[in-house]
Amino acid sequence: MTDPTIDAPLPEPSAADGYQVRLEIFEGPLDLLLFLIRKKKIDIHDIPIAAITRDYLDYLDRKEQINLDREAEFLFIAALLIYIKSQMLLPRETDLAEGEDPRRFLVDRLIEYQKVKAACSLLRDKEEDELLKWKRGFLPPLPGAGDLEFLEVSLFDLAATFSRILKRKEAEGARTIKGKDISLEGKIKDLLAVLAAEESIDFLEYFERQETVEDAVVSFFGLLELIQSHRVRAVQDDLFKTIRVWLRRERGKGHGHE
Amino acid sequence: MSDELRPILECLIFLSQEPLTLEKIASVLEGVPEEDIRRTLESLMESWAAPDRGLHLLHTGGGWLFATRPEFDAWVRKFLQIERKTKLTSASLETLSIVAYHQPITQSEISAIRGVDSTGSLKTLLEKKLIKIIGHKKAPGNPLIYRTSDRFLQYFGLNGLDDLPKEEEIAKLLEEDKTGEA
Repeated sequence: MTDPTIDAPLPEPSAADGYQVRLEIFEGPLDLLLFLIRKKKIDIHDIPIAAITRDYLDYLDRKEQINLDREAEFLFIAALLIYIKSQMLLPRETDLAEGEDPRRFLVDRLIEYQKVKAACSLLRDKEEDELLKWKRGFLPPLPGAGDLEFLEVSLFDLAATFSRILKRKEAEGARTIKGKDISLEGKIKDLLAVLAAEESIDFLEYFERQETVEDAVVSFFGLLELIQSHRVRAVQDDLFKTIRVWLRRERGKGHGHE
Repeated sequence: MSDELRPILECLIFLSQEPLTLEKIASVLEGVPEEDIRRTLESLMESWAAPDRGLHLLHTGGGWLFATRPEFDAWVRKFLQIERKTKLTSASLETLSIVAYHQPITQSEISAIRGVDSTGSLKTLLEKKLIKIIGHKKAPGNPLIYRTSDRFLQYFGLNGLDDLPKEEEIAKLLEEDKTGEA
């Protein structure tokens, strides 16, 4: 009996790599700023703005590629640093009171962000511990437990699956037939009748069967309606897999009421 | 009563995919006082803590659940042919911890704390069902409001938001970092 591979932890990006590290290693401008502050062993409450701004801009110059979205976030903080410096250079008649330090806004943000980072590292430890414990829920879910939570969020899964069908229907060149009213009540009745006959239906298959895009859309609303009123249960094994829909038995009776 | 109760509870928890809550158990075992159930659960947990077991009875996510013991992780992964379980990315974890500590919270409030747009991370977390949308804020643009889900608690082995690392723990960690560098 040989013990399967002992886990070697993934190498975490380390801030100690110095200036050569790439932008992606930092979660954002605040992360970079904190890194620079710690590297220089600066007191966060008394940041030498000129020096740190130089380091910060230096760093931005060195990075390899530009991603405009991220760039804006990094530049915002650069602009803030320069603004703070300009505020500090302005001659004033009276000395600033303590609360009026132009750096205050930035320092508060940095301190808050520092706390987030610390909380993250504590949560990361917990995550690592928990990932070693395997639960039965890891296997595809049986109907029965935790459905409220499941259904609540699986609206996204439903919508994602549904939009795939719609795209396919469009590709088939479905046309709009005017003058035909499709009622939600009618579709719900249809759905319930099919469910009563077939016990469970395959969501993808059912909507494939719909003639027009309108039919499919109204059926989809019907399904959402039924889920909301707890008359059916929808289970999806995995994202982008099909969704199975069941009738709920004895709604409201029994003790399984959450 | 406790002796009769134990095997029943064991059955119910064994079948559960999600942490089985005290309320759920009480609703099945009509008339049994919750205090008895709780006491029996505790003794059940103790007996499953014996060193020769492969499973543990965990109190997590606000309920009780069987799980394999961490020592046997490598065997489980070999059996399931899974290289390793994916951890959350740093961006997702950052976003999640901000939601956890500041909930209810909107996307723009999260992004302001991180200094980075967090829309993508929120989407990932919703897909993983670690957070949920609880409504719209009555503010310009009616932004969505996020909260952590029950699955979030279970994911980190917590039983409630009170179990999150406390302010003091965070302060202690920051202090250690500082002294470690000096």
